[in-house]
Amino acid sequence: MPVPITLDFLLCQGDFRLEMHERVEARVVALFGPSGSGKTSVLESIAGLRSLERGEIRIGSRTLYDSGAGVDVPSHRRKVGYVPQDLTLFPHMNVKRNILYGARSDRDGGSAEGLEQILSLLELHPFLDRRVGDLSGGERQRVAIARALTTAPLVLLLDEPLTALDRGLRARVLPYLKRIRDELATPMVYVSHDEAEVRALADWVVELDGGRTIRSGPALTPSPKIT
Amino acid sequence: MTGDVLAIAWRTVSLASLATLVMLPPGIALAWILARRQFPGRAMLETLVSLPLVMPPVATGLMLIWMFGRRGPLGGPLSQLGIDVMFTWRAVVLAGAVMGLPLLVRAARAGFEQVDRRYEEIAGTLGASPRRVFLTISLPLAKRGVLAGALLGFSRALGEFGATIMVAGALPSTRTIAVAIYSYTETGQEAAATTMLAVSASIAFGALLLSNRFASSA
Amino acid sequence: MRSARTLTVLAMLSLTACGRAPDPGPGVLIVSAASSLTTVIEPLAEAFERDTGIAIELNLAASSTLASQVLAGAPVDVFISADHLQMDRVAAAGLLRPATRTVLLSNQLVVVAPLEPPVLPATSPDVLASFERIAIADPVAVPAGVYTRAYLESVGLWRRLEDKLVPTRSVRAALVTVESGAVDAGLVYRTDALSSDKVTQVYAVPVADGPEIVYPAAVIAASADPAASERLLAYLGGAGASASFEAAGFIMPKARR
Repeated sequence: MPVPITLDFLLCQGDFRLEMHERVEARVVALFGPSGSGKTSVLESIAGLRSLERGEIRIGSRTLYDSGAGVDVPSHRRKVGYVPQDLTLFPHMNVKRNILYGARSDRDGGSAEGLEQILSLLELHPFLDRRVGDLSGGERQRVAIARALTTAPLVLLLDEPLTALDRGLRARVLPYLKRIRDELATPMVYVSHDEAEVRALADWVVELDGGRTIRSGPALTPSPKIT
Repeated sequence: MTGDVLAIAWRTVSLASLATLVMLPPGIALAWILARRQFPGRAMLETLVSLPLVMPPVATGLMLIWMFGRRGPLGGPLSQLGIDVMFTWRAVVLAGAVMGLPLLVRAARAGFEQVDRRYEEIAGTLGASPRRVFLTISLPLAKRGVLAGALLGFSRALGEFGATIMVAGALPSTRTIAVAIYSYTETGQEAAATTMLAVSASIAFGALLLSNRFASSA
Repeated sequence: MRSARTLTVLAMLSLTACGRAPDPGPGVLIVSAASSLTTVIEPLAEAFERDTGIAIELNLAASSTLASQVLAGAPVDVFISADHLQMDRVAAAGLLRPATRTVLLSNQLVVVAPLEPPVLPATSPDVLASFERIAIADPVAVPAGVYTRAYLESVGLWRRLEDKLVPTRSVRAALVTVESGAVDAGLVYRTDALSSDKVTQVYAVPVADGPEIVYPAAVIAASADPAASERLLAYLGGAGASASFEAAGFIMPKARR
C-alpha cells in the first residue's frame, strides 16, 4: 500500500548543501545518483542523525521533523529501521541478540509471530547462535535488514544494501527485498547508484546530484530482463 | 605477630577492593561524560578529576580532612548522623577511592573514546534510549578500558599512603600495609617492617600476574 | 563473563571490610603522639587501659602531621607533640584546652656513630668536625632537627658543619642512616641511641648546654571526653609513667609549663 511520504527539508553541513522537496505517495522511494550526491544524508536525516536547517519530514501519519512547529523527534523515538551501508552490526552480540536489539514485545503485539515471519523471510534460522564476525557478506546484510525490521518500523531505510555483494548474491537478496515490500507492507527509502535495482523495487525515484534534485517521478516499469 | 600481619594485609586488600567498587560508578560516569560530551566547564572538570594525580598525596589528604573532619562541610552532617569518617576504615576507603579515581577515569575514558560512535548512533535508531545505549553498547564495548582502569585504581588504593595516613591516621585499627611499614620504620621495628615489605611485594606481584592474565586473555 | 566475575570478587572482598573495627566513639580516646614516643607510650597506654577501662587508640606520626590533622578537624582527644612549635600551631587556632597544656618530657641530644670503624668517645662537640657526613633530622620541619640546629648554632658549629649535614625525614630515619653506615655520624635523641644496638654514643650534649627539648601535651578542646583525657595526662605525668620514660632514656622536664 503506498504511504504518504514528505521529505521537504534543507541540510547544511560545512560546504555541503542538500535540499529535498518531495511529497509523494509511494511504497518504495529510491534515491539515485553518484556518490557524494547526498543520498546517505537523506537517510540519516530521516533517521534523526543529522541537524537540519528547516523543513518537514513525515512518514504516513507521523511527523518526525517540522521546524515550523518546533517538532524534532529524537532519533530513538522515530521508529525508523535504518540499515546503513556499513551495516554496523554490534560486534559484541551474536546474530540473535543483534536482530532482537530493537524488538519490544509489549508494543508490537504478537511479536513472536512477527519475528518468525522476518526470520523465515530472510532465512536466518540457521544463523541465530553465530557470531557476527563469522558470517558472509550476504548473511550479514540479511541480519542487518532483519534487525531493522524487528523494530516494526514506520519506514525501512536502506543504504546501498546490495552494492557490496557479488552478482550472484545480489540476485539472491533482491527477492527478499521485494518480499519485504510486498508481504510486510513496510514503506522503504532505498538508496542505490544502480539503475536496475531501482527499477526493480521502486515506485518513485529521486535523482540527486551535488545535493540537488535533478529529476523525480514515478519509476519506469521494470523491463522483463531485469529481476 | 603473624596474626597482625595477616590482619593488616587482609584489611588492606579488602578496603582497597571496597575503594575500587566505590570509585567505579562516579569514575565510569565521569569517563563517559569527558569522552562524549562537550559543555562549558569541561576543561575545569578534567583538571579537577586529575588533581589527586598531580597534587602531593599529603595535600589531598589535608583537603579530605578539611571536607570530612567533624567540622567539615561533609563531615559535619555525617557526624550528626552518627557516621564518623576520619580515623575509621571509611577514611581508608575514601583516600583509596579519591587517589585511584583519576587513574580509573583516564583508562575508562580511553576505552569509551575507542568505541565507534556509529554503534551508539545505530543503536539509537533501533529505539534504544541514551541510557540503554550506554548500558548495552558503550559500556560493554569499552569494557577493556574500564577493567584496566579498575585494576589501576585498585593498585593505587592498595599502595596508598600519603592521603591515607592523613585522614585515617596511624591507628592500629585502620593501619594498612603502607602505613604499617611507615610506622614500623619510624619506631625502629625493622623485622616487622621487612615482613610487611615482603607481604606488600607479594600482593603487588600477585596483582600484576592477574592483570597480565586479564590482558592476554582478552 | 570476566567483568562480572571481577566485580563479584571485589564485592565479596569488600563485604569483609565493612564494620570490621568499631569506630572510635565514646569511651575511646584518640591520642595523637609523636612517633619518637612509640616504644614507651604503647605499654603505658595498655597499662592505663587495664587500670581504668578507658580504651586508647594511639595515632603515632610526625608531630607536624598530627598538628595538621587537628587543625583540619580530626577527632583527636589528646595531643603529645615533640616540640612547642607544633603545639603552638594548634593553640593559635584555639583548639586546645589551655589549662591542660603541660610539658611531659624532655630529652637529650647525643652524637652517635656506626659500630665500624670504632670511634672513641669525645668530651666536646668539636668532634663533629672530624666527620665527613653527619645525619640529622630535617632542621626545617622536624622537631629534633630544629633542636639540633639551635644547638649547633649556639656552639658556633653550624656554619662549619652545614655542608656535611645529611637531613633526614625524621630523627628515627637519621638513626637508621647512621646504623647503615651511609654516614659517619649523626645527631639524634638519647632515647633513639639507647634503643639501638648498632650505634655507639660518641658524645652526649649536656642538658645544661643543649636546647630545651620538650614534649608538650594537651587536651584538645573538641575532645568528646575531656575528663578521661585529663586523667590520661595525669597518669602520664605521674610517678609510674616517669619511671618508664626514664628507663627509656627520657629526661624529666625542668619545668612543667
